[in-house]
Amino acid sequence: MEENKNKNNEHQEHISSYKEHFGTWSALILLTLMTVLVSVFGADLRTLSVATAMIIATVKVLAVGYYFMHLKYEPKIYRTLIIIVMALFVFFLVMVILDYLTR
Amino acid sequence: MNQSFVLPNSGHTFDPKSSKLGMWLFLYTEILLFGGLFLVYMVYRSLNPDAFLLASFKLNVWMGTVNTIILLTSSMTVAMSITALQKGDKKMAMNLLWLTLLAALAFLVIKYFEWGAKFEHGYFPGMDHYDAMPVGEKLYFYLYFFMTGLHGLHVIVGGIFIWVVIAKIKSGKVHKDRISLHENAGLYWHLVDLIWIYLFPLFYLIH
Repeated sequence: MEENKNKNNEHQEHISSYKEHFGTWSALILLTLMTVLVSVFGADLRTLSVATAMIIATVKVLAVGYYFMHLKYEPKIYRTLIIIVMALFVFFLVMVILDYLTR
Repeated sequence: MNQSFVLPNSGHTFDPKSSKLGMWLFLYTEILLFGGLFLVYMVYRSLNPDAFLLASFKLNVWMGTVNTIILLTSSMTVAMSITALQKGDKKMAMNLLWLTLLAALAFLVIKYFEWGAKFEHGYFPGMDHYDAMPVGEKLYFYLYFFMTGLHGLHVIVGGIFIWVVIAKIKSGKVHKDRISLHENAGLYWHLVDLIWIYLFPLFYLIH
């Protein structure tokens, strides 16, 4: 019984520190300013800046998910499900692209 | 050997794990809802790249940037308020949630002025300027109003959710050991932030 209790306690919620949240926020703000600057002052790099903006946005989304939404400390099932949802979205994306390329 | 056996969850109706997983399942459907809209955006932008570029100049990049910073900051305060309640600091948790609510309000006020300016110029579907636009710019503004409008609706719902959590923390129904509702409100608010992270570069930063 005692052992069982300890096992349960191991799965207790992780408490993120204020410092960690502040660090994540700083990174997010920095990335935002970067996208704005790349976009406003990088007008010659048009096609590049679309890709750059999307990559930076994805990094920001991962940071929010991982640290703010606690995905880093959740059981694996949450990350597995996210990968399934993302795979589904990529599948839709590929189907739409194929559709428009073959018209 | 007298082994006692307790059924999981017997005697009470509180199940934080299922509660959180349920919230996440809902968030997955939200991702696919907005995902579909982003696909529509991708198709029409690739068909009308120049019109989308021209139309995007009519948005105010700085208002969009300020709104992005507001949402990111509110995401931090809501995450911090969960940390505060987990540590048992009820007052701090409530103050941080009020700050989040204030940010939600600021976001909506800025959005109101942005939309107001577009209405004044007649860019809303059905208005005179809109009707005179080439088809690509029409599609851009149609998607702009629909996607930021749906996102704005999520901001309002998220704000109400957070307000309910504040009231429940105050009345003691949500506390250190029963934090699920608070966490779920936080998750919803982060989703609102996530969607905006993509909306912002796609509508404001086509240069």
